Amino acid sequence: MADYEIKKTLDYKGLACPMPIVKTSMEMPKIAVGDVVEILSTDPGSIADFPAWARTTGQAVLEVKQEPGLIRIYVKRQK
Amino acid sequence: MDAVMQAELKRLFETKLNRAMRLYLETCTHCGVCVEACHVWQSMPESKYTAVGRAEIVRKVFLKYFSLEGRIAPWAGETIELDDVAVERFYDAAYSCTGCRRCMVYCPFGIDTQQIMSIAKLLLVGADKEPKLLSMLADMSIAKGEDVESSSAGFAEAIANLEPQVEALYPTPAGRKTIPLGVQKADVMFVGLSGAHSIVPAAAILNAAGINWTLSSFEAVNFGAFMGDPKRTKAIAQRIVAEAERLQAKRVAIVECGTAYRVMKYQTGEHSFETVAFVELIAKYLKGGMIRLRRNVDKRLTYHDPCQVARNGGIYEAPRFVISKLAQDFVELTPNREYNWCCGGGGGLIAMGELEFRMKSSRVKMEQVKATGAGAICTICENCHTQLTDLNAHYDMGLDVHSLTMLAAHALVKPGEKA
Repeated sequence: MADYEIKKTLDYKGLACPMPIVKTSMEMPKIAVGDVVEILSTDPGSIADFPAWARTTGQAVLEVKQEPGLIRIYVKRQK
Repeated sequence: MDAVMQAELKRLFETKLNRAMRLYLETCTHCGVCVEACHVWQSMPESKYTAVGRAEIVRKVFLKYFSLEGRIAPWAGETIELDDVAVERFYDAAYSCTGCRRCMVYCPFGIDTQQIMSIAKLLLVGADKEPKLLSMLADMSIAKGEDVESSSAGFAEAIANLEPQVEALYPTPAGRKTIPLGVQKADVMFVGLSGAHSIVPAAAILNAAGINWTLSSFEAVNFGAFMGDPKRTKAIAQRIVAEAERLQAKRVAIVECGTAYRVMKYQTGEHSFETVAFVELIAKYLKGGMIRLRRNVDKRLTYHDPCQVARNGGIYEAPRFVISKLAQDFVELTPNREYNWCCGGGGGLIAMGELEFRMKSSRVKMEQVKATGAGAICTICENCHTQLTDLNAHYDMGLDVHSLTMLAAHALVKPGEKA
């Protein structure tokens, strides 16, 4: 069981790269520092995109979960 | 702008001044032929939206600092100081140009305004004034290349989850992997976009043709090229080059992405592999009898030549050959091929959003498509596909907008079926 509380879920199912990243980056200023958001994506590229985006923007990917047809990414706003 | 920044921007400007660029900057006679060639001007007739209008901003800075005339008598001609105002004007010029190069086709001297705009874009990067969305996406792409291993297991799982969709289009021949990864010495390394919509149809076609292929770990799109940053462009492309060379792929097939194709084909130098646009393979497999398609497009179909694949990449006939096997009623856009109107979504505008500008500046594209009476349009570039989809909705055009690869994949004749 993850030891973080999900403050918001961003549903980006059906969107292709780069839109899940673009939309998440636009949401970041609306999220408090320290809060965690859940991102729902169907884009396989999100698996590698989000950790790379987090490394270059100073955010943190806490976890990536997969099931057929759905990817869940948990991002914590660090700054 | 302080003197240090101005000196740095002048240095960057000078890095772009090869013989061709000097010709472009010194030759313009202001004849005005390029004015009507620009889809933005055709749709929004203001002088700032002409090719010559955009180029003049860069040209006047060139005259001030890099021409003999400007250095001896800067007051004698119209010149512009390289300052914060000039940088703002660079932004407006560079990001109202899609880099389609239609103006170059009409220019009697062949002046390449996209190349001139590449100076403006590079100076914007130097001044830290580039669109931050594009640099964020470019940096993300580069970071992926630096640490592909950490996400490789997750990526393989995500790709495996797509395989039922491929099987639904065409059953994978026995003994083959539906979406192969990391295959050495493959005949084709397919570089897709990250979405299922680009990987699934290509996989079905490659499997139907019986090709020994592998899927690249990277997406084809090059955000560094959109933002006009040669270093980022090279770093992003190099991920794919290194992977293809490591796997000793014979051929790198680029998905429906015009910029990605042009960068890999013409802007990354010589490689041990051949670079092709995926549509070229579909046409080749059809001609060789390796795949068969049903003629299953009922509506009148037209085709949009993407600027970076057609006018700037030279691919005109392969998509038309594929369409000839799919469509019952095909109609060309007028004009077409190298004279086709840009869709209005290039140069990074799609990734940046810019919906209002894209819709207003592409009215001429909408009118061109409507004039065909077509009920469907297809293309071979993701940017163009997105822009045409947005135009269709904005202007209530009532079109079906298709990817040609997707149309072909859905038309594959399966084993035991009749065409």
